[in-house]
Amino acid sequence: MTLYTHILTQILISVVSVAGVFVLTGMTGMFSLGQAAFMAIGAYTSGILVTKLSAPIYLAWPAGVVLAVAVGFIVGLPTVRLRRDYISLVTLGFGEAITALLNRTTALTGGASGLTGIPKVTTLWSALVSAVLVITLISLFKNSKYGRQCIAVRSDELAAKSMGINVPKVKMIAFLISVAVTAYGGCLYAFYTAYVDPSLFGWKKSAEWVIMVFFGGVNSLTGSVLSTFVLSGLPEVLRFLQNYRAIIYAVLVLLIINFKPAGLLGEWELTPRNLRRIIARGRRVQQPKGVN
Amino acid sequence: MQILQYVINGIALGSVYALISTGFSLIFNVLKFSNFSHGALMTFSAFTGYFVAAANGWGLVPTILAAAATGSLVALAGEFVAFRRILIRNTSPIYFFVSSITLGTLFEGIVVLQVGANFYNYPRFFGKPLKLAGLVISQSDIIIFCISAFVLVVLALVIQKTRLGRALRSVSFDRDTASLMGIDVTRSIQFAFIISGALAGLAGVFLGINYTLYPTLGSLVVKGFIASVIGGLGSLPGAVIGAMLLGIVETTLISTIGSGYAPVFTFLIMLVFLLVRPRGIAGSNIQEKA
Repeated sequence: MTLYTHILTQILISVVSVAGVFVLTGMTGMFSLGQAAFMAIGAYTSGILVTKLSAPIYLAWPAGVVLAVAVGFIVGLPTVRLRRDYISLVTLGFGEAITALLNRTTALTGGASGLTGIPKVTTLWSALVSAVLVITLISLFKNSKYGRQCIAVRSDELAAKSMGINVPKVKMIAFLISVAVTAYGGCLYAFYTAYVDPSLFGWKKSAEWVIMVFFGGVNSLTGSVLSTFVLSGLPEVLRFLQNYRAIIYAVLVLLIINFKPAGLLGEWELTPRNLRRIIARGRRVQQPKGVN
Repeated sequence: MQILQYVINGIALGSVYALISTGFSLIFNVLKFSNFSHGALMTFSAFTGYFVAAANGWGLVPTILAAAATGSLVALAGEFVAFRRILIRNTSPIYFFVSSITLGTLFEGIVVLQVGANFYNYPRFFGKPLKLAGLVISQSDIIIFCISAFVLVVLALVIQKTRLGRALRSVSFDRDTASLMGIDVTRSIQFAFIISGALAGLAGVFLGINYTLYPTLGSLVVKGFIASVIGGLGSLPGAVIGAMLLGIVETTLISTIGSGYAPVFTFLIMLVFLLVRPRGIAGSNIQEKA
């Protein structure tokens, strides 16, 4: 039972981060390959504040998120005005820089051997509450003015611009929201595993998140959450496939991109209306033929 | 004298970066997307070169040839598996991006599966470093520089002077019009992938010689990316110039502030550079086109 609790908690923490990536990649069409580095900033800042300065958690976590957002603003500033390739290239370089920095500042971060002694605060329930909260906020954002602008920017940047959308601003908002959410995921993670080291936050992690978002459906938050459960739950259940994990991911995603480019769920969302529709359809199927 | 030493070491390092950034820029030029599988392809070919040639006691040249051939073939296969259908369907360039990341994960996954997390070393191909008027130049640096320069010059000639190169340039300018003019677009794109793959293989071997062979060697591709951003995305001469500059800056940084902080400073330099001159040195298209 504890094993399942452990797996479920980790998946829920991933859900938080993937939801952040969804805002950036799924909605706005930008790719960050340094997203895990923002998670690292959240995790390390809050961890260091609590372990070294014995700051209370309700101050340390917001501090981690705020610092990540501030750094994200600096990284985003030159890139949001340029074509989307730049943000992925720049964030990739950013991820390498952060890893180097964490490895180097041994006195503060513990270097390559990692930061230890973080109190274990996150439980299954707090992870669940966080995930639900983040998903709710992001679905609200998706349906807000800015969310719709994000989708417009993704579909056609030039057309969005000519409709009067401030493209750099929208891109920056999406980027900062995703940074904040991912950094929060980092806090959850650090205070769950009680230990973080720089190798956890490489570009592979960021790439994995992008893949999860695409696997689930480009414009479907439901799909992203679902695919996080499937893709990060599957290797845990099938332990013997651990070594093949990366390859299975890759093959699955290549199949999806080649044959169902919109992803598992495409644009479909689990809204109350869609839910009612499914239930209604289910009833219709259950009714015996010839009654109507 | 010290500065001259930095410049010499920097150019040697930069010539490897130039191979990476040129291979990357070539694909960017033709298909207008950042090929993130390039790094993993370098690792894959470098390891194949090691196991096919170097581990059997063959010399440098067979190793390079084996790695370059592997790079070409794998890049060609990758184009077919990951990019062909997106190209035909003409869907959003976003998919190229995801495809290339996925392909990179696949290549790296295969390497990890085969070799584990072990480190490998290429055999010593070179003798002692040369000493010349107070400067120390290692033989490997000289040979790596000469081979890289030769390959890049040949590539420039092929792209500028041959029919194949002209076709490639027109395809990168406008795919649809090129196709209307009777150019086989698919074949041109395959040609670009073959060259890019060969460059990746070559760069992989050189990186393996300079450092060691390990499964995440491909993450050094980020140097190539930074070089192409500095040089101007998609511009081949820009990629080479950017790579040389990056090499010189990096060797200087490593000897002054240490190798640990060097990536941080190169990143900051790139960020400032993007703020000041986003087009890069050679200038390229920086806005999204319709």
